[in-house]
Amino acid sequence: MAHVAVMEPPAAAEQGAGVYNEKLGMWIFLGSEVMFFTALIGSYIILRFGAQGPWAAPGVVLNVPVTAFNTFLLICSSVSMVKAYAAVVDGDQAKFKMWLLLTIIAGASFVGVQGYEYTHLIQDGFLPSGIREGSELAEKVAAGAVPEATAGIYGSSFYIMTGFHGFHVTCGVVSMIWVYLKALRGGYSSSDYRGVEVIGLYWHFVDLVWIILFTIVYLV
Amino acid sequence: MATTAATVGQVGHAGHVDDRSFLRKYIFSTDHKMIGIQFLIMSLIFLGLGGTLAMMMRWQLGFPGQAMPGGTILPETMAPGGILLPEFYISLVTMHGTFMVFFAIMPLLVGVFGNFLIPLKIGAPDMAFPRLNMMSFWVAVPAGLIMLAGFWAEGGHAGAGWTSYAPLSEAPEYSGVSLGQQLWCVSLIVLGLSSMLGAVNYITTVINMRAPGMTWFRLPLSIWALFITAILVLLAIPILAGGVIMLLFDQTIGTHFFKPATGGQALLWQHLFWFFGHPEVYILILPAMGFVSDIIANGSRKPIFGYESMVFAIMGIGFLGWIVWGHHMFQSGMNPTLGQTFMISTLLIAVPSAIKTFNWMGTMWRGSLHFHVPMLHAVAFVAMFVIGGLSGVFMASTPVDIYIHDTYFIVAHIHYVLFGGSLFALFAAITYWYPKMFGRMMNAFWGKVHFWLTFVFYNLTFFPMHQLGLQGHMRRIYDPTQYQFLQPLQPLNQFISIAAFLLFAAQAIFALNFIVSWFTGAKAETNPWRDNALEWTVPSPPPHGNFAVTPTVYRGPYEYSSPEATEDYLPQDQRLPTDRVPAPKPAGD
Amino acid sequence: MDDFAHRKQHPNYLLIWVYLFVLTIVEVAVAFLSHIPKNLLLLALVFLAVWKAALVGMYFMHLKFESNRLRILAVAPIPLAFILVLAVITEFRW
Repeated sequence: MAHVAVMEPPAAAEQGAGVYNEKLGMWIFLGSEVMFFTALIGSYIILRFGAQGPWAAPGVVLNVPVTAFNTFLLICSSVSMVKAYAAVVDGDQAKFKMWLLLTIIAGASFVGVQGYEYTHLIQDGFLPSGIREGSELAEKVAAGAVPEATAGIYGSSFYIMTGFHGFHVTCGVVSMIWVYLKALRGGYSSSDYRGVEVIGLYWHFVDLVWIILFTIVYLV
Repeated sequence: MATTAATVGQVGHAGHVDDRSFLRKYIFSTDHKMIGIQFLIMSLIFLGLGGTLAMMMRWQLGFPGQAMPGGTILPETMAPGGILLPEFYISLVTMHGTFMVFFAIMPLLVGVFGNFLIPLKIGAPDMAFPRLNMMSFWVAVPAGLIMLAGFWAEGGHAGAGWTSYAPLSEAPEYSGVSLGQQLWCVSLIVLGLSSMLGAVNYITTVINMRAPGMTWFRLPLSIWALFITAILVLLAIPILAGGVIMLLFDQTIGTHFFKPATGGQALLWQHLFWFFGHPEVYILILPAMGFVSDIIANGSRKPIFGYESMVFAIMGIGFLGWIVWGHHMFQSGMNPTLGQTFMISTLLIAVPSAIKTFNWMGTMWRGSLHFHVPMLHAVAFVAMFVIGGLSGVFMASTPVDIYIHDTYFIVAHIHYVLFGGSLFALFAAITYWYPKMFGRMMNAFWGKVHFWLTFVFYNLTFFPMHQLGLQGHMRRIYDPTQYQFLQPLQPLNQFISIAAFLLFAAQAIFALNFIVSWFTGAKAETNPWRDNALEWTVPSPPPHGNFAVTPTVYRGPYEYSSPEATEDYLPQDQRLPTDRVPAPKPAGD
Repeated sequence: MDDFAHRKQHPNYLLIWVYLFVLTIVEVAVAFLSHIPKNLLLLALVFLAVWKAALVGMYFMHLKFESNRLRILAVAPIPLAFILVLAVITEFRW
């Protein structure tokens, strides 16, 4: 029986995508994720474009410096992820595990910072349903710094976009922990690193979505 | 790195001993064939349920305010004294559509035949991701249970139509429904996950796991159709998921996405829903067209007419299907100029559908016609689809749609394409691939009886609905006789209802044929229909792993009545002295 | 296996990281330049975001080194996103 190397496309196949099944499958899955975030982000753009009043200026409700740091953290985690990938390709198991662990820590920290951000926003009165009565932000609304007409959809769109992104990051962190545990058992080598490449693609995608989100939610 | 000639004719996976436990073989199976059969059983149950709901609706429409026979078993909240309440009626309308679209037709076309046919027809041992495939079915089951649970919810089941327009669907103060709508949302989110897992599997498998010689333009049209459909599922379902999540949040945590008073947009729901919804209807028809192509070529003993144009027509429908969604919204108050663009694109999409219709006719022309049961249903498909498609052209024209939107004209169109189209194609496909799935033939005599009864009663039920619609009979209405201008139409409503009851009754023949044949049907040979495709080269049913030896393909699947063959069919994997072994393909570009 | 695995050298990931870091700083700075007209500001921010996203896609996800086929597959859904958003936005301009 002919030997079929797992990093190749299936040997008996007509020329397909030219990559192994798991990688092709992940790219296809990411296509669906593009559409999912299109629904959420596209709705935000539509709601904001058609809003019956001005939107709050950047930085008035949301904490841009903290989130800018968080963005930096996620980008760093993308770098560490690709360094982990490069290491396993080159056969350096020690570096591979180190970079992967750093990615997990950075990713988990991102979720942590977002949790911190959410906690403070909710305390200040920023909810998915809008501004809570009697809160600190309600005073800003009264002072005219936060437009009332758009506060409701501002809260709704902010939480749904960042919330689902955070959910995707969390799933990514959990998956990477699983990959890390398998790596500790010697599950990946320079001749089979499929799981690493595939989770890497997912992780970079999650970073990419955040790059878009950070800009259009926090900076615009 | 490059594949060697040794991979041609490589030992396949069916050579191994099958020592799986009962649980692994029949319940938690990763075998695409078993998963396809699991979807078949689940979907047929929902098809029956959806039909039952329709019978209750037709009772109310034909005999408004009268007690339904057997209706007293329903609780007081639904039908006191057997008379359907308006609130219950509207949930029947909603759930008939929801069950039929999401839990019957879609899983039948995509979950059953996508799963069963794709690996077999491309020469693969199974799907690319068998465990994800298993998950796909077992995620669909709770989705179905959640949707059923809504009938027991306080306030009744969802009642905003299968299209669940906001703000009604998130306003219990108007609809009276709260939990039911939420369950509707949750169920669809879960079902969406199931569909996504399937789509990733199908697309990866078709791209990457075709046997040697199975080039793109030698694929059966059923596979082309399932492939393009899977792409539509992949990209459209997430839009629905996003929209439904937003709706659920509006219903539960106080967000404002679709609430105009607090900054939301009602039309945003419609745009999101139909951006998904229009590709969805192509998901519901393309695989049917694919099956019909395979069956008509077989029943005509002729190659499909214009194979390449059929492929491009499928791609054209799949592509154009993304830019026509606004034709569901002509009466919504949308931007009229935007509406105009949708009118143009919608009229355009009739072209590839027409090409396919002419090609089916061209296939049959001067063919040696064998009207086996699948062929009967497939030919009926073509005729009914023409009617449904033609009514679509009326609706595509915005000025005409102003009068017929939300009337029974639309209901007629929907049912001509979904029942006359998809369901007839499903009857054809189930009968055709039944021997391969179960190793037995369905009874041909009762198959023909079922076909003719269904065909006659189906047309008697749905054709008059065109007339009802043109005379102003609106959709989803509980009691048409409340309007004086509709009262003269009541005899027609009654006629339709009686035809519908007879139509439903006739389905018992199909159900019995299906169940009885499973146990006592004639044993099926390997290739009972004398078809060319790869699944007809393996036993009925095929073993786990499908092919003992990986097949090599030398031609397309439509070489019927070929001058090169002694028989009137020429299988894809049969090597003639003039055929060359396909050269090994290098990996990568 | 992707073409990249045949290469002796990985792309300079650290250099890409520097680009991303700088672009992020520029973005935040630009966002708070209040004297630029709104539309131009929006254009600049979106441009910077897309540039960063492209860097991640090309170098971290290795699209630069993959086949044409895979690149097309990766970007295929994006036009659909534009169609949806641009079409619906016209609802507010008629």
